[in-house]
Amino acid sequence: MKHSGVLALSAGLWLAALAAGAALASDWPVYGGDAGGRHYSPADDINTGNVAELEVAWTFRSGDSAQYGADMANTSTQATPILLPEAAGASLVYCTPFNRVIALDPGNGTQRWSFDPQINRGGDRPFRCRGVAYAEDTQSPANAHCRHRLYLSTHDRHLWALDARNGQPCSGFGNGGRVALYGASGHAPGDVSNSSAPVVAGGVVITGSTVIDFTRAHTPRGVVQALDAHDGSARWTFDPLVGHPDSGSANVWAPLSVDTEHALVFLPTSSPSPDYYGVERPGDNRYANSIVALDLNTGELRWHFQHVRHDLWDYDTPAQPILFNWQRNGDSIPALVQLTKQGLVFILNRLTGESLWEITEQPIPPSQVPGEHAALTQPKPIAPPPLLDSFLMPHDAWGLTPVDRADCRRKLANLHNLGLFTPISETPTLMYPGSLGGPNWGGGALLDERGVLLVNVNNVAFSGRLVPLGEQPAAGNGPPSAGKQFRVVMAGTPYAAELGSLQSFLGLPCNPPPWGKLIAVDLYAGRILWETALGSVHEMGPVTAPFHIEWGTPNLGGGIATAGGLFFIAATMDRQFRAFDVNTGATLWRYTLPVDATATPMTYRYRGRQYVVINAGGHHMFNRGSGDYLYAFGLPP
Amino acid sequence: MIRTVPAVLLLLCAAISHATDIRVVDREGAAVPTAMVTASPFEAPPADLSDDGYPPHGVTNTAAVTITRFTDAQGVASLPEADSARQVRVRAQGFVDASTSADPGTASATVVLQKMTPEQYIASFPSNVWLSQLTFGGDAELKKTFQLNCAFCHQQASPFMRNERTVEQWLAVFARMNSYGARLPAEDHQAIAEHLQRELRTLREQPQTVPEPRAWGAHLAEVSMTEWPIGDGFSQMHDFLLHPNGMVYVGDNLFDRLYEVDPESGEYTVYKVPHRADDEVGGILGNRFTVFPKMYNYMGVHSFAVSPRDGNIFITPSMQQALLEFNPTTKAFTIHEMDAGYYPHTIRIDEQDRVWFTLALSSQVAKFERTSGEFTLYDLPARSIKEWLVLKSLPLMFSIDPENRPQPAPDREGTGLPMPYGIDVAPDGRIWVARLYANDLAVIDPATDEVRMIEFPYAGPRRLRADAEGNLWIVAFQDSLLVKYAPESGEFSDYPLPVRNEIPYALNVDRERGVVWVNGNQSDTLLSFDIATEDWRVYPMPRQRFFTRDVEVSEKDGAVYTSNSHFPSWQTEGGQPTLLRITPPTP
Repeated sequence: MKHSGVLALSAGLWLAALAAGAALASDWPVYGGDAGGRHYSPADDINTGNVAELEVAWTFRSGDSAQYGADMANTSTQATPILLPEAAGASLVYCTPFNRVIALDPGNGTQRWSFDPQINRGGDRPFRCRGVAYAEDTQSPANAHCRHRLYLSTHDRHLWALDARNGQPCSGFGNGGRVALYGASGHAPGDVSNSSAPVVAGGVVITGSTVIDFTRAHTPRGVVQALDAHDGSARWTFDPLVGHPDSGSANVWAPLSVDTEHALVFLPTSSPSPDYYGVERPGDNRYANSIVALDLNTGELRWHFQHVRHDLWDYDTPAQPILFNWQRNGDSIPALVQLTKQGLVFILNRLTGESLWEITEQPIPPSQVPGEHAALTQPKPIAPPPLLDSFLMPHDAWGLTPVDRADCRRKLANLHNLGLFTPISETPTLMYPGSLGGPNWGGGALLDERGVLLVNVNNVAFSGRLVPLGEQPAAGNGPPSAGKQFRVVMAGTPYAAELGSLQSFLGLPCNPPPWGKLIAVDLYAGRILWETALGSVHEMGPVTAPFHIEWGTPNLGGGIATAGGLFFIAATMDRQFRAFDVNTGATLWRYTLPVDATATPMTYRYRGRQYVVINAGGHHMFNRGSGDYLYAFGLPP
Repeated sequence: MIRTVPAVLLLLCAAISHATDIRVVDREGAAVPTAMVTASPFEAPPADLSDDGYPPHGVTNTAAVTITRFTDAQGVASLPEADSARQVRVRAQGFVDASTSADPGTASATVVLQKMTPEQYIASFPSNVWLSQLTFGGDAELKKTFQLNCAFCHQQASPFMRNERTVEQWLAVFARMNSYGARLPAEDHQAIAEHLQRELRTLREQPQTVPEPRAWGAHLAEVSMTEWPIGDGFSQMHDFLLHPNGMVYVGDNLFDRLYEVDPESGEYTVYKVPHRADDEVGGILGNRFTVFPKMYNYMGVHSFAVSPRDGNIFITPSMQQALLEFNPTTKAFTIHEMDAGYYPHTIRIDEQDRVWFTLALSSQVAKFERTSGEFTLYDLPARSIKEWLVLKSLPLMFSIDPENRPQPAPDREGTGLPMPYGIDVAPDGRIWVARLYANDLAVIDPATDEVRMIEFPYAGPRRLRADAEGNLWIVAFQDSLLVKYAPESGEFSDYPLPVRNEIPYALNVDRERGVVWVNGNQSDTLLSFDIATEDWRVYPMPRQRFFTRDVEVSEKDGAVYTSNSHFPSWQTEGGQPTLLRITPPTP
């Protein structure tokens, strides 16, 4: 960890931050709805009684499809807009996969301004942008340029500060409104990029990074950076793998959370490199695969909780920590809930990192790879239960016909499978959940006061194996894509890794549906309240079926809950945008979008009308088409 | 020199002897008696493990021997001298584990233990006390069915078994376990899943209802425990034999290996059990563990007995129709083929050097005459016509390829599987057998070949042994009892175990000293019962989830041996199976 000398926090900035958080609670001012990522809105104009009447209020197209053409195939549209306060222009603002920032009239979707950072599009890293962050800079005079600011972390590793009212770069911030975050390291373009929105609090802008962590043993460090929100100067840094020279990554690519009251920022850290081979990084690899709490002002470590020791499965911490107050026996404990790819739900005291449910250490089998010392145990909360059952036995094989079921049964019988945390080896090994999760970056939504978490999960078994160098590949190089085995090189190790979803010759998953689920978890009682399939497979076959087949689909993106008793989510591979009843899981409304919407929606009230907005542009991994749509829904005026 | 670690305070003293005295105190400075002090080398001796992670055939390695002692009334435990640096773990009931290290020459050190929080204390309780609070809705028979079918491989209420699971997740567990060979009746799955889900949740919400485990006794201050780590997390060190030559022979049931352990030197040599070229993993039973990363049980090394004539060792290979013989002098194996009988199980040899063993699947007892090389099979009676038909159809069933073989649909009574299990030779030469699912005993008179059945008025007679008086001592598995049967009077007597809800797997009798040793596999204990005084003593195991299935007693000094054969072994604390010796076992 490295600290700058500028640690003093302006009281004005502090108060402004607090005021901003309070005033904007109902208007979706930040990526996750609030600084604690609860994905919850108190708006209830749209509710279970009238959601069936929901209709398109307006649509907007960013123009990316026309401007970038073929490059759109390498994008995933993931942005959640935010609504700026009146003083900042009251625009609805979001970013496109190429980091263009667009401000719209919230009432009709008319564009007010846009900003194009002209990113370096070198490398083959997919383009994505989950959002921007807003803050009022009290060091700038009222009504002056960049008093109200937007912060944008870009694909090519720049942090931009823009005037929220017109999109102009802030001249006093860095070099003409931008700071190079990772300029001189010598890594290729795309090795390190950004996907999630930065967070702004206490006068600092904090940003993580996205690092390709399976290509090499020694990938770039996953350093988290904090910059002065006013001028862009460095304030502090945190390297999650400090003291571990023979690894890299452990970066923070998922959204961060901030507790301004206790001056804490929470980092969901990812796997160390390389993902599937840990011989050169012995030990637990602290602080990878952890929730790390840092002092917001200094970057000093307050606590950490490592949910995977010595990761061999690419079980990044994928989701934004959700901050809430844990109610038990009349006590209210500042807490956070962390979803993990492996389908576990950890609830921690956010001031100490102590688990609020007993942690049981799960023994795991030893690795068969020479020199690999898998951790003897991994932590698991005694409750709530895992969101997925990670065993898949041959007798569990699923198929549409006896023939493809037999094919899956045979494949499963030949896989190593000792449940969650079975170490990968040269023999194909079940990875269930795989690196897709379980939960992923869409995170969850927490119902106000009730301690009920709604979370969408993937439920598709993967398999993987280590391929010794020199052995001919059975799969193509490259990133994961729907239904295909892919190969990652892990240069600097004796192996490559071959991974992919476990499918029959018909291309159907070998595990029984649903292949995507929506689950309601009672965090206080530690139990699952209900779960339901999320998504229809009617468009996933060679021919589109004329009716929905609700077997669930893989899903990316999250959902939001409202005081209207609704949970809105798209995320699926069926172009649907749905509203569920939070109490029963019943689908109350759905709408067919032009393309899949792998983003988290948001909602706001504007001039007396509640809107629900979803960004629909497809996902390169789903390979089902792209677009550049923003849809707003509302009740009939 | 002592290295310190957080939460541990060490006071250095001058080196005045080679032993290391560990003094254990609480934060107020009061002595902590009966604290378990375990020393293990920081670095294991180099070993040749080049045969799929195991020593090649005939290669000798040295085990990383671990020593455990207990503190006396003054809170002091003395560790024997060592020639290398050791890690010292201190564990006491109600305290958080502490660890430190000691270099050779360290004379003494003090370790301060921190009290557990109430939550930590309850969570630290062994499996048996948690299990004791599961009532299965008041259905005692259902609980027994659960214990019989689910507690013979591993502990049932260890911390990670108590995790919240949905009913569906429990049902998936049962289906998986039955595919591995458990026999939980299908008609009981739903009810058991619902009870486990509900009652474990209730315990989680009301942990104060869980009773405290039995306190460790002062007698432990006299006890020394030695562990020899052998095999790896995939091994299963099932049964073993304390041989008159001083060696201990341990069978790795899942990897067809025989470990010859020298307790004096810590050296061990591995001998790979041969199999026929056309044999397959899993033998004639078929491989039920295809999803395991490693498995090498062509034969299935199960139970051991030594010939009083020449010291040769006879071994039951569960996966084959055969009997194994090992010559400990020449290290040669001989396979004695059988043409009938299924699942050779527990084995004993009588004074006439006749080899007796149970055939668990075909409900038979086999006798092997060494002089003629002939087998004689004794059929034990079926309990019903249906069972008779099942038993008679076994040859037909086993003629079908394992992958296509019909799988049995077990019921609560284990119809078709009375399962002769334990066996022993009484001082009068009669052969006694316990049938686990049938709840009866068989006695064979070798002189007349007469077979007589005796109803066992308890549930789950698993293994049995005869004492010097000819009385039979039998564990009632799911009834949690030690039972004595007096053949002369025909009377049964039962003795509640000193730990609650134990599910005793096996026992042995120290005929010389009149002590019965009982495996306490749910409570992480070994239990001793003085036949004369009927007093129990409890010996806590040095590792959690120390599942034991066999006991051997040294006639010379009364030391007892057992092996850690939790299945799977990686679930045991430290993920390492061990051979354990407890000495002196003063009753």
